Amino acid sequence: MTEEFKPKIVGFLCNWCCYAGADMAGTSRMKYPSNIRIIRVMCSSRINTEMIIKAFQTGADAVFIGGCHFGDCHYVDGNYRTKKRIDVLKRLLSHMGIEQERLRLEWVSAAEGEKFSKTMAEFTDTITSLGPSPLREIKEEAI
Amino acid sequence: MEPELRDYVGELLDSGTVAGVLALKDELGAVKPYLFTKNNEIGDLVLTSKYPLASVMSMLQKEDPSIKLAIVCRGCDERALIELAKRNQINLDNIVFVGIPCDEEMADKCNCLQPYPKEIVTGEKLSNWVPKNNYEDFKNMSTEEKLIFWKGQLEKCNKCYGCRNACPLCFCSDCELENALWVKHGRLPPEFPIYHVIRAFHLAGKCVGCGECENACPVGIPLMTLNHLLREDIKDLFGYMTGQDIEDENPINTKEEY
Amino acid sequence: MKYDNILTTCPYCGCGCKYYIQVINGVAKGVMPCKEDPVSEGKLCIKGWNVVDFVYSEGRLTKPLIKENGKFREASWDEAYNLIVSKFKKIKEQHGPQAFGLLSSAKTTNEENYLMQKFARSIIVTNNVDHCARLCHASTVAGLAAAFGSGAMTNSIPEFEDADCFLITGSNTTEQHPLIGSRILRAKERGAKIILVDPRLIQLAKFADIHLRQKPGTDVAWLNGLMYVIIKDGLVDEEFVKNRTENYEKLKKEVMNYPPEKVEEITGVPKEDIISAAHIFGNAKTASIIYSMGITQHTTGVDNVKSCANLAMITGNMGKACTGVNPLRGQNNVQGACDLGALPNVFPGYQAVANGEFREKFEKAWKMDDKIPENVGLTVVEMTNEAHAGNIKCLYIMGENPMVSDPDINHVKESLESLDFLVVQDIFLTETAELADVVLPGTSFLEKDGTFTGTDRRVQRVRKAIEPLGESKPDWLIISELASRMGSSAFEYNSPKEIQDEIASLTPLYGGISYERLDDLGYLQWPCLDKDHKGTVFLHKGKFTRGLGCFFPITYKPPAELPDKEYPFTLTTGRILFHFHTGTMTRCVPKLDKEVPTGYVEIHPVDADRLGIKDGEIIKVSTRRGTINIPAYITRKVPEKIVFIPFHFKECAANILTNPALDPIAKIPELKVCACKVESIGE
Ligand code: SF4
Ligand code: SF4
Ligand code: SF4
Ligand code: FES
Repeated sequence: MTEEFKPKIVGFLCNWCCYAGADMAGTSRMKYPSNIRIIRVMCSSRINTEMIIKAFQTGADAVFIGGCHFGDCHYVDGNYRTKKRIDVLKRLLSHMGIEQERLRLEWVSAAEGEKFSKTMAEFTDTITSLGPSPLREIKEEAI
Repeated sequence: MEPELRDYVGELLDSGTVAGVLALKDELGAVKPYLFTKNNEIGDLVLTSKYPLASVMSMLQKEDPSIKLAIVCRGCDERALIELAKRNQINLDNIVFVGIPCDEEMADKCNCLQPYPKEIVTGEKLSNWVPKNNYEDFKNMSTEEKLIFWKGQLEKCNKCYGCRNACPLCFCSDCELENALWVKHGRLPPEFPIYHVIRAFHLAGKCVGCGECENACPVGIPLMTLNHLLREDIKDLFGYMTGQDIEDENPINTKEEY
Repeated sequence: MKYDNILTTCPYCGCGCKYYIQVINGVAKGVMPCKEDPVSEGKLCIKGWNVVDFVYSEGRLTKPLIKENGKFREASWDEAYNLIVSKFKKIKEQHGPQAFGLLSSAKTTNEENYLMQKFARSIIVTNNVDHCARLCHASTVAGLAAAFGSGAMTNSIPEFEDADCFLITGSNTTEQHPLIGSRILRAKERGAKIILVDPRLIQLAKFADIHLRQKPGTDVAWLNGLMYVIIKDGLVDEEFVKNRTENYEKLKKEVMNYPPEKVEEITGVPKEDIISAAHIFGNAKTASIIYSMGITQHTTGVDNVKSCANLAMITGNMGKACTGVNPLRGQNNVQGACDLGALPNVFPGYQAVANGEFREKFEKAWKMDDKIPENVGLTVVEMTNEAHAGNIKCLYIMGENPMVSDPDINHVKESLESLDFLVVQDIFLTETAELADVVLPGTSFLEKDGTFTGTDRRVQRVRKAIEPLGESKPDWLIISELASRMGSSAFEYNSPKEIQDEIASLTPLYGGISYERLDDLGYLQWPCLDKDHKGTVFLHKGKFTRGLGCFFPITYKPPAELPDKEYPFTLTTGRILFHFHTGTMTRCVPKLDKEVPTGYVEIHPVDADRLGIKDGEIIKVSTRRGTINIPAYITRKVPEKIVFIPFHFKECAANILTNPALDPIAKIPELKVCACKVESIGE
């Protein structure tokens, strides 16, 4: 068994900023790891707890959420709520025995392609060293 | 305490201040929530048990929005009423609070953070009260141990929805726990851990620590552990406590930075 | 405004949870658990929590119906009663009382069951009265009565909390008896050992110390195997065997034919597991055997039950707290329906009809001119067979739905269609009621007073919370009115309380039970002989009901139908948490219907793969009796070569497939094993 662990990361990216940032990273050939599955949403605050846990439950090793910088949210204050929600959820995850590092929130503007690719590389490293999500195993034994 | 209280609420009824008093009644060797409407029944009013009276009050107001009722309430009942009012589930103007403090035994049993309402009609507030259980044992576990702990606990779940049904703050008509997008229907136990994470998270900044969820759990899942830890987190992150003032907003939903 | 909480007993399973019904201005709004109730302790299962929804469901019958030219029309009570009375009289005249069959109901109250058998025996003058206990625990009643002298659960639910060891077999306890399951889980946390014997990976399997997955229908073999090890390794309670039992040597001789190697061959359970399970059980200070239909619904049902009794007795686990042989009764009041004589061979309190003294006592009390026949009447399955043969002309069915619950439904349908006259009394227009000539609208448990007897012989009050819907009437009133119109003066009751008093006066087991005492004490467990008797928490203390406990040597016999080339799978059936029995109540509760809207067949991934079946795909399952189309649920819960179908769902009714082969003594059909074929219907 030499198969190397490649984390699966689900990225929920805000259409108005981070998604464009990722796009820019792509078009300007800034490399970022290919193991992120991107889901475009209209605002980071569209993401609720259910979606994040569901992502873990269906096999994600980590979840990334990318939104607009404070003050830039298209819906004025969506991202303030996102921030609070994610901070509480991180704590809840760690109470449940799931490393809170597996959930990450970053503000990435449309112009920050480089920030995006750097963040993703770094996040992938973190998760690689953490290993597979404990929920993955549980999922497999369930069927 | 009971005799004075009976006099007090009897007076509320006699004077016509309220059309009824929601409290607990002793009948058939058990204690049940009951709406007292006549003074001559008041002799059966007791304080010995605990039921989620705030939810009952909300149901009664929905039946007749204009009715004015009194409620004999403990600390957690009052906090629940305040939280319900914040969310337009109840109209505090039509409620007369008849506050009673909890004794040490009850407060211990609930590991209550605040075993008394803001104003009390009769009895003594416990002074210098601090709950004994701080969940240190749980906090001392490693992440891995915590996961194993919850897995063992949640595998017992009977999917009765009792924790939700009994909770005074769970009032949504469309409950996400029943949404097949998140929780597969008809599976026992529900998939680990989404069912319980959803509920815990939805109650963050809302839970008043009444313990009814854990009391309702047939398989003894320590649901209050999660509630307690989240209450601490909310306090730590936002300096917020539930059930204090109707003007306070749940910080998770506000637009302010913190 | 009036807001009150009415304390009543759950109408679903036999746990017997009491809870409050919240009533505002005469309308039931919901359930509030009762924290002082000793069974539920303020906790409920999903069915209990949502009980109010079925009561107000649209399908409720609110007027009598009469069938004319193949169609139902609404009728007045007078009209319906008159028609029934004239038909009953005519059929009785032409064909005699033995052309009647009456089915009572494990869902209705004790008082109503009492009246139904009183109606059968005193108005029609037949012993052809039975109910669906025949299909679940007839073998328990026969087997335990033979071994101990009493056919009921020996110990009580609260005792489970303190037992050291459980042997759980043929009971998916956390699903079918949730509030008993929860106690077992709590006991486990306290350190109790769980031995689970079940082919399926049920929820309890995760908590079991050892899980034996036997081939369906091989229970006698593994039970004998456990006893072999217990005897061989010196774990027999010699003193108990010597002082309290008889026939031990014969048992020993038989059991010694079942060494673990042989048992492994028959049951498929590794011999090491047999040995360690026997050691766990044999070494426990208190061990409790818990079983349900996985033991009883076999052609060897009585044998299985007797084997459980043998095992409990050789280890001395009888007549003490936290031990015993504990059949969990499925229906809220199946215990009561049996206790109150809705059986073809006994009067209330298991007083045999064959006994002339008892017949005389009842003839007198019921002011009869006729003589009650001394012959035992027909059982459920026999009634349908006799109807098919043209010997039964008329059936009066209260609150039962044989068109879903009984084996080989196609045969049941033909039988019911060949009747001259069929009266069905129910709260819904069930599949059975559809075939009736007259349908009478009874009421749900919320609309009447009475008592239910839970699985642990716990008699508890049912209290009226709301008025009957529409023109429906409580079943006790319907039977009484009908009896009076048939000319009897022995059915004049103002309330169920008076019926209970009559029961107490004629039934020693219930002799001390009255509404006043139930109000005071909350419950009474029979035997409760007189007004000062506190009831009985566990049976057979110091002495068995029959004197000495009797061992029965049992030889293993295979099920009636085994897989073969044509039908290579074993089909086993059962229930699930979210539904109840034939689904008439639970399927109209939105919250339950949402969880599981229809039936399914559980099939192992390896089998599914081989047959090219995908999860959720509609497939064909057939047996020698019939074929159904049903969605596949691919899961490792079932072993290879075994499929499982919950029987609640009429559109893919498991009982079209099941085998009506009967246990020779208890006449219970073999619902738990038959051979079947599984096919994909996709191109
Ligand atoms: S979550 Fe539990 S403790 Fe919190 S308010 Fe609801 S029932 Fe009370
Ligand atoms: S009360 Fe307990 S068993 Fe019921 S759904 Fe909640 S956690 Fe599960
Ligand atoms: S169905 Fe059984 S376990 Fe559920 S509430 Fe009713 S009696 Fe209790
Ligand atoms: S629009 Fe980007 S975070 Fe709200």
